Amino acid sequence: MVRCTLKSLTSESLVKKLCTAALAIAAVAVSSQAISQNAGGTLVMIAQPEPPSLAPYLSTSGPIGLVAPKIYNGLLDYDLDLNPVPELAESWEVSDDGLTVTFNLQEGVTWHDGEPFSSADVQFTIMEVLKKFHPRGPNSFREVSSIDTPDALTAIFNLERPAPYMMRALSAYESPIVPKHLLEGKDVREAELSGNPVGTGPFKFVEWKKGQYIRLDKNENYWKEGLPLLDRIVARIIPDASTRTAAMESGEVHYGAFGAIPNIDVIRLRELDDIGVTTDGYAMINPMALIEFDTTQPPFDSKAMRQAISMSVDRQFLIDNIWFGYGKPATSAMTSNYEPLGLYTPTANYPASPDVAAANALLDEAGIKPDADGVRATAVIDLIPYGEDWRRLGEYMKQAMAEIGVKLELRYEDVPTWLKRVYADYDFSLNVNYFYQLPDPVIGVQRHYGTDQIRQGTPFVNSTRYSNPKVDELLAAGAVEADADKRGEIYAELQNILAEDLPVVNLFEMEFLTVYNEKLKDHTPSAMGAYGSFDRAWLDN
Amino acid sequence: MAFWRRFCRNRSALIGLVILGFVILIAASAGLLFPEDPFKLVGRAMSPPGENGFLFGSDTLGRDVAAGMAHGARVSLLIGLLATSVAVTLGVLLGALAGYFGGWIDDVLMRLTEMFQTIPSFIFAILIVAIMKPSINSVILAIAVVSWPAVARLVRGEFMSMRNREFVQACHIIGMSDWRIMVREILPNCLSPIIVTGSLMVATAILIESGLAFLGLGDPNIISWGFQIGAGRTVLRSAWWVCTFPGIAIMLTVLAINLVGEGLNDALNPRLRERT
Repeated sequence: MVRCTLKSLTSESLVKKLCTAALAIAAVAVSSQAISQNAGGTLVMIAQPEPPSLAPYLSTSGPIGLVAPKIYNGLLDYDLDLNPVPELAESWEVSDDGLTVTFNLQEGVTWHDGEPFSSADVQFTIMEVLKKFHPRGPNSFREVSSIDTPDALTAIFNLERPAPYMMRALSAYESPIVPKHLLEGKDVREAELSGNPVGTGPFKFVEWKKGQYIRLDKNENYWKEGLPLLDRIVARIIPDASTRTAAMESGEVHYGAFGAIPNIDVIRLRELDDIGVTTDGYAMINPMALIEFDTTQPPFDSKAMRQAISMSVDRQFLIDNIWFGYGKPATSAMTSNYEPLGLYTPTANYPASPDVAAANALLDEAGIKPDADGVRATAVIDLIPYGEDWRRLGEYMKQAMAEIGVKLELRYEDVPTWLKRVYADYDFSLNVNYFYQLPDPVIGVQRHYGTDQIRQGTPFVNSTRYSNPKVDELLAAGAVEADADKRGEIYAELQNILAEDLPVVNLFEMEFLTVYNEKLKDHTPSAMGAYGSFDRAWLDN
Repeated sequence: MAFWRRFCRNRSALIGLVILGFVILIAASAGLLFPEDPFKLVGRAMSPPGENGFLFGSDTLGRDVAAGMAHGARVSLLIGLLATSVAVTLGVLLGALAGYFGGWIDDVLMRLTEMFQTIPSFIFAILIVAIMKPSINSVILAIAVVSWPAVARLVRGEFMSMRNREFVQACHIIGMSDWRIMVREILPNCLSPIIVTGSLMVATAILIESGLAFLGLGDPNIISWGFQIGAGRTVLRSAWWVCTFPGIAIMLTVLAINLVGEGLNDALNPRLRERT
């Protein structure tokens, strides 16, 4: 176009030639793109462990998330920067006061059984299913008082108070839209749908051979024109880790996420030409390795003690030597992946390299003096019993904390005993653990610090029994603040307080790995990663 | 001296004794050779053997493998000996009672022993440690619990064969108490098979402890060979030395104890050897 406007300046024939050439190049570029995106083929992915069901509206269990979002759609999806992008909602509008959210739905969407999809399905899903039966749904949609459906393609959410975090909980993984006509009037927990899912997504459920595989075939009537590209997805269940690695190496499977291939094997496989590795696609999960303290008992009721520990941990050492280089040192109570939301602030007491001298000086100053053997305090450190890595971390902690005079003894128990000890009996001093911070602090961080989150017997909430009215106030304000800048300020203040008090010392942002065969393209177009729909994924032959 | 001569006739037993002596020496002098805590992160992680001052290299966290092996020798031998002592004591006691008295006592004790024998011993040990908190005491107890039935059966057999011998009947006639007959008269006569079994049990105990530690069920605060192998197994392809050297140590020690046990058998039961 630009060249053609030069018409008056040059000879007409030359311009014509140039324009033709430009068009030809463009045409070639377009067609080569079309050719390179092969349609067809069967994608084989690893589902590990075997999903307990295919009911994403009842359980957030990881392996369900690997399969179900290929069958169900959400209202929204999220790009790699966590911005919402249209899915079943073609567009949406949040009122100025944040109390009404209007979703305009896609036209011509049908369920896999041929029934038309409408706003009634959205209303039923949120109000009757997710709000009542989903593990995190009651929290995500707690402000939703009702949903109006003025017509088949409009759903209006009426909120009690603004709920900005809700807009990040609308993916197919977190909040799948389910068919009203198959659940209404039935016991949602017992409905047949959980083993025989019917969605609006790019792939239809065909067969589940227990212990072997789940087969999904292309939805020929998918509402997105020309998609999906794959003919079939087979989710294979391979319980043994070394067999999974061998299957990936031989090209038998194309895709394994969430540590399906152990890190130690990944560093070998990534050297192979046809195997790729990525840490993309986990920004919605945000796992954080951390230490929880019993802040009600000596020695860790002392703030100086907790600060000294945070200051003397070599976070990079843990990442390099135990997690084989995958991870990022923590710099705050909140993950740096919140940065695109403007909610992340690096804080004090998270030094880039450990400062043992300063930590010792801090303890001396606080009057915690070492005895004749250089021991200031002794304690038992509990380790999350999820594998060898965590034991290595404990062994490191024992050595590193000896440098500041904290003598630790390691304790490694089975999962139920450990959960009971930490979250029901509060019978611990410090506990190594990891938490999902999820896409928004209201869902992932609040549960760790709020006074109302001291819920004896409920796992993965506030076990430190830290209670600070100012923190509670900020958490409450942050949950309902619709203005992004103001919200950022609230959370910045919160992070600074938490960096000072440190009821929890974050260690590092964990990075899960996705290992894939290079033949598989466009598998991680969104922040949902392995929990995405795969409608654009294709196989290059 | 006759015992020693008979022992020395078995060359391989001598070799075993030399190796075992060396292991004991290392274990005894571990504190002198490597005064630091073997868990201490003393240098560059994953240094190959001979580099950065590490004789046998360093592991994933930069711990000295050689130091771990020296201190691990202590733990392995200690656990082997303690667990065996507990198992032998228990086994001898129950076996002697069953063999000497017979009748319903024998029935009850042997059904009990069989109950323990029907459970695969290593899986049983895993179960015991998993139920109790993994610690050095629970490991010793678990090994002892799975090891005593064999001793009990052996001792029972010996006591049964002895209780009707003339010398025992003579003891009865002069009015000796049952307890005294068992301890002073019969037991010394069946000591040699007990010693041989016991020595071999030390080797088994070391293997079970290594297996438990390898599976992550050892005491997390105590270094042992099995722990070293378990910790190094994930890096076998990139740092072979982390589990290879402790593995060799286990193999040599267990082999040595077996050879010594064989030699003891020859020396204590000379007629057995002459027969074969």
